[in-house]
Amino acid sequence: MLTVSVKWQKKVFEGIEIDPTLPPYVFKAQLYDLTGVPPERQKIMVKGGLLKDDADWSAIGVKDGQKLMMMGTADEIVKAPEKAIVFAEDLPEEEQATHLGYSAGLVNLGNTCYMNSTVQCLKSVPELKSALSNYALTGRSADVDQTSHMLTVATRELFGDLDRSVNAVSPTQFWMILRKKFPQFSQLQNGMHMQQDAEECWTQLLYTLSQSLKAPTSSEDSDAVKALFGVNLRSRVHCQESGEESSETESVYSLKCHISHEVNHLHEGLKHGLKGELEKTSPALGRTALYLKESLIDSLPRYLTVQFVRFFWKRETNQKAKILRKVDYPLELDIFDLCSEELRKKLEAPRQKLRDEEGKKLGLQPKSTSKDSDVKMTDAEASSKESGESSTVTQPEGGSSEKGTLHMTGIYDLVSVLTHKGRSADSGHYVAWVKQESGKWIQYDDSHPSLQREEDITKLSGGGDWHMAYIIMYKARFVSM
Amino acid sequence: MAPVPDPNNVGGGAKRDEATTKVPSKDPKKKDDKKEDDLSEEDLELKQNLELYVERVQDPNPELQKAALESMRQEIRASTSSMTSVPKPLKFLRPHYGTLKELHKNMADSDLKKLLADILSVLALTMSAEGERESLGYRLTGSGGDIGSWGHEYVRNLAGEIAEEYTMRQSEEASIEDLMDLVKQIVAFHMKHNAETEAVDLLMDVEDLDLLLAHVDRTNFRRTCNYLTSSAKFLPGPDDMLVLDIAYMIYMKFEEYPNALQVALFLDNMQYVKQVFTSCTDLLRKKQFCYMISRHGITVELDSEMVADKDDRDMLQDIVNNTKLSEGYLTLARDIEVMEAKTPEDIYKAHLLDGRASSSPSVDSARQNLAATFVNAFVNAGFGQDKLMTVPSDAASGTAGNWLFKNKEHGKTSAAASLGMILLWDVDAGLTQLDKYFHSTDNPVLAGALLGVGINNCGIKSDCDPALALLGEYVDNEDSSVRIGAIMGLGIAYAGSQNDQLRSSLSPILNDAKAPLDVIAFAALSLGMIYVGSCNEEVAQSIIFALMDRSEAQLGDALTRFLPLGLGLLYLGKQQESVEATAEVSKTFNEKIRKYCDMTLLSCAYAGTGNVLKVQDLLAQCGEHLEKGDIHQGPAVLGIAMVAMSEELGLDMAIRSLERVLQYGEQNIRRAVPLALGLLCISNPKVNVMDTLSRLSHDTDSEVAMAAIISLGLIGAGTNNARIAGMLRNLSSYYYKDASLLFCVRIAQGFVHMGKGLLTLSPFHSERLLLSPTALAGIVTLLHACLDMKSIILGKYHYVLYFIVLAMQPRMMLTVDENLKPISVPVRVGQAVDVVGQAGRPKTITGFQTHSTPVLLAAGERAELATDKYIPLSPILEGFIILKENPDYREE
Repeated sequence: MLTVSVKWQKKVFEGIEIDPTLPPYVFKAQLYDLTGVPPERQKIMVKGGLLKDDADWSAIGVKDGQKLMMMGTADEIVKAPEKAIVFAEDLPEEEQATHLGYSAGLVNLGNTCYMNSTVQCLKSVPELKSALSNYALTGRSADVDQTSHMLTVATRELFGDLDRSVNAVSPTQFWMILRKKFPQFSQLQNGMHMQQDAEECWTQLLYTLSQSLKAPTSSEDSDAVKALFGVNLRSRVHCQESGEESSETESVYSLKCHISHEVNHLHEGLKHGLKGELEKTSPALGRTALYLKESLIDSLPRYLTVQFVRFFWKRETNQKAKILRKVDYPLELDIFDLCSEELRKKLEAPRQKLRDEEGKKLGLQPKSTSKDSDVKMTDAEASSKESGESSTVTQPEGGSSEKGTLHMTGIYDLVSVLTHKGRSADSGHYVAWVKQESGKWIQYDDSHPSLQREEDITKLSGGGDWHMAYIIMYKARFVSM
Repeated sequence: MAPVPDPNNVGGGAKRDEATTKVPSKDPKKKDDKKEDDLSEEDLELKQNLELYVERVQDPNPELQKAALESMRQEIRASTSSMTSVPKPLKFLRPHYGTLKELHKNMADSDLKKLLADILSVLALTMSAEGERESLGYRLTGSGGDIGSWGHEYVRNLAGEIAEEYTMRQSEEASIEDLMDLVKQIVAFHMKHNAETEAVDLLMDVEDLDLLLAHVDRTNFRRTCNYLTSSAKFLPGPDDMLVLDIAYMIYMKFEEYPNALQVALFLDNMQYVKQVFTSCTDLLRKKQFCYMISRHGITVELDSEMVADKDDRDMLQDIVNNTKLSEGYLTLARDIEVMEAKTPEDIYKAHLLDGRASSSPSVDSARQNLAATFVNAFVNAGFGQDKLMTVPSDAASGTAGNWLFKNKEHGKTSAAASLGMILLWDVDAGLTQLDKYFHSTDNPVLAGALLGVGINNCGIKSDCDPALALLGEYVDNEDSSVRIGAIMGLGIAYAGSQNDQLRSSLSPILNDAKAPLDVIAFAALSLGMIYVGSCNEEVAQSIIFALMDRSEAQLGDALTRFLPLGLGLLYLGKQQESVEATAEVSKTFNEKIRKYCDMTLLSCAYAGTGNVLKVQDLLAQCGEHLEKGDIHQGPAVLGIAMVAMSEELGLDMAIRSLERVLQYGEQNIRRAVPLALGLLCISNPKVNVMDTLSRLSHDTDSEVAMAAIISLGLIGAGTNNARIAGMLRNLSSYYYKDASLLFCVRIAQGFVHMGKGLLTLSPFHSERLLLSPTALAGIVTLLHACLDMKSIILGKYHYVLYFIVLAMQPRMMLTVDENLKPISVPVRVGQAVDVVGQAGRPKTITGFQTHSTPVLLAAGERAELATDKYIPLSPILEGFIILKENPDYREE
């Protein structure tokens, strides 16, 4: 009889007897009583290996009083989960894209960054995308020419490709059609396609889309692009000499931010841009005279585009020179004071509501002085009367009507910035900075999308040789009432 | 009238500049002419006296001559005490040096002639032309009186001349007996007058250090040994060994056993280690020795001669076997209050990066999960608990299993093995936890379990040999992943053990024609680890044959590099003689691998020696511009770091050279440079290296960037360095799109927070004197794997990252009482100060703070007890320190 001690986990079992005539299995059974580990799960370490069930004790050379070590648990054996885990690496490319949370970049086809950044900025408008996807259904109407149709289809395809792909997309098709439609983009310089002005590309593309996306059935109302981007301006044209005054309305797709020495902020630039002088023949004077034109916004778009007028034609150098002046722009833009009187009235109530909501969020009680609520009441009445008339202010989407109508507030949030880096419009580099639905900002530098911090977005305001905002786009903030 | 040695002049480098003694000889000449008339009355009188003596010496009357010489000697002796200017008598005697010389030549042999020779010898101090060694010449013909009576400066000058004379006579094979007599006198004089460094220098010059033994005493042996051990790093072999031998003997003579043991370990001389044990009779001190051996990571079997009593021996062997390491580490962790397990997200700190929505993606990424597995393993290493792998399975119906299966295929190997890392050093708990995976039918999981056992047992030895018993039977498994798991596990568990049983089971694999290349590569590596620094012929033979058997295609495989590396590890730090034969054989290899093998052998053999010539050889290799496809420059660059890492000066030089290499080198060199920097500053985040690596981490070449990122992790390993953590966080957002680079960033983050900041990867310990061979082997293996990141770490062999476990050690100072129970005492922790060659009792630390033990020690920090109540049993306060109550302590 041998006596050994067995160490198992942190416990030591002293004085276990071994009968060398019996096979080790008996010994294991003894240990089963002590530890609860079934013999087949027991691993007993002896010199040079594990103790086998049918081994010969004498061959193993266990000595009296030796310490043995046992390993083994009665735990459940780990099993693989029945449902195999799916790994991102194994997914098809399209699903990987959705998992990333933003779409792919565009390959630069040789000085096409102006086009790439324009496309990326416009792509960030989901309404435009849905309008485009409906385009196929409506088909080409008679009054849209062939190339416009092709460009519209190409845009739709490109947007679709971008959403599906993980890797950078090459916009070859789109580019060819764009050049076909607008031959000015095919200019060559030293055998290379020239850098172009992104603003021109933006305007032309949007114009084409607005033409082709007009539903053939009803003429005016369903102009999707106009509904999204169009700003109605009411201008008062006034001639100081003759005292003539007339008013006119026009619709533009973007506001201009003029940059002069006094302009330090987007707001000032916009105000500046809405005032202008023009010369025209005065019927009263019978000659050309200087007219002052002052415009106010009459209706607000869902997406407000602002172009910084950074380039002007420099006659001496024969090229578009750039104004590097720093013009700050906010992440949240309020254009209330650029609106016409009527529009302001309409905006009062939704704005009050928005303020209250924000106040609540901050933990403040909504102002409940009787005077204020009186004003609110009358405003609300006024706006409810008028809301029926204006289709531009309330834009009920398909499903949102049952929740109550959405109202414009005149407050806009920044959603995309197209920047330019360099000294002239036809050189340098264009980059798009787009806010995703998740709230992340992505910089699309041709084929390289990269994450950016929000505070860095407002730093693109110029004043140096860094990227500076050229076209920025704001999205309207709605309040449901 | 013993001259007072100027303390400022005693210290300094290894070699004293002999020229300094002659510098003043120039200016007095000019002044003499000008100031002839400005002499003060006193000086004028002295001058006239001396002139009179000179005249009288020339007098034929020997009585008068003698009196004159005596007076002259008197004057000179009375004035040699100052060293700031040439003593006046010497100055005034200068014009007469020629006369006296002439006189001496013509004088008949007599006592008088000897007396004159003595004086001339002193005068030659300032007069003798460079290289003439007149001072020595006259000294040898002189009366040979007390050497110190002429002042310290004279002795120094003499010592310098002796060194020159010695080299000359050695080349002429002339007798040196008369010189040695003088040397004895000088050494005795120096040793008595706090000039141990000069004595040692002189003896090194005349190659007779044994003399030192006779002259050291209680008061000066510490400084002497300190100087000897530090100068050993700058000496070429085999002189360094001789110097350390002497240091060992001196320490033994004064029963300074811990230091003696340290030197013995440095020499890797088991005979000496044994001698320390047999010479010491105090059991408690022997326990302290065992702690020191266990930190060094070598296998020592205590025998009855070393410790007589069997129970005592068992207890001491337990300490050597590191069985208490886990306990001590957890004591430290509890004291610092970092027991709470951390998740990988706690390390990534994604919330600090804005724009990066921390919302976890809906789909699991295998790469990301694998990174999380490693980060989790490194961060919770040794704590025995985490939030992914050890969560009780009943709590959330098998959560542990779930995390395992969130890894893909070979990823499961690393996941299962991570359990071994989490339960590092705690063998009992580790085996219990790993047991359940042993019954898995999934081969990668089983492979991971086997590897996990190896990791778990790293540095821990046990009588039962659980790792061998459990893994042994899987070495020949038909599935190659299981085989690799077992082989690598054995390599890690038995690194440095030189276990013959393992050799007989692993060697056949190397020469098995049917074995796949990866199995062979890992077998070679494991054998290299097990026999690290042993120069074992048989293992070397097997690896050499395995290398020769490889086909052309296989030689191009990334894993083939582990074969030469395994071979190199056998000779780690053993220098030329031992590696020569193998290096010779390697010349016959296929040219694809020949140079790689050469470089690896060279760099391994000289690892940690600081040999400047080898650094130059390796630099020359990097200077060549090669055609594509040659890969041997990578190991050459790593070699620079391996050789130069041993001491501070060489280390700084290597860092500068690497910057140069980075600028002018080819791409394959640039890829290795960050890794070399990582090795040089491992767990020691130097700001300049950090900046270089940060710059390289944005390199356009992604492999350079990856290497730089991994190295950022290595230099910050276990430090929780906030700056590196911040850099890595930013890199994680910069590279969030690139899965490979992001993986590297994650691994680096895991390194930086390794063991929640309680661990170090530095292979150096005991005040940077000793180099643990197994630790270095682990790091070097990882770095070699990083040379081809894409095919190894980013491929399916990511588990080579676990080789780093060999270098993982707690960077703690834990004090225990006589019963080995932790006790808390106040200690001062501060930046270590180099006190080599400094006179008096200089402060050893600066800018210290007082803490109570256990404390963490950062790189370059040193601790000292802040209380007299206890006496530490080792002068090097690192790791486990046994404290003995001070019998003389009186409560204030």
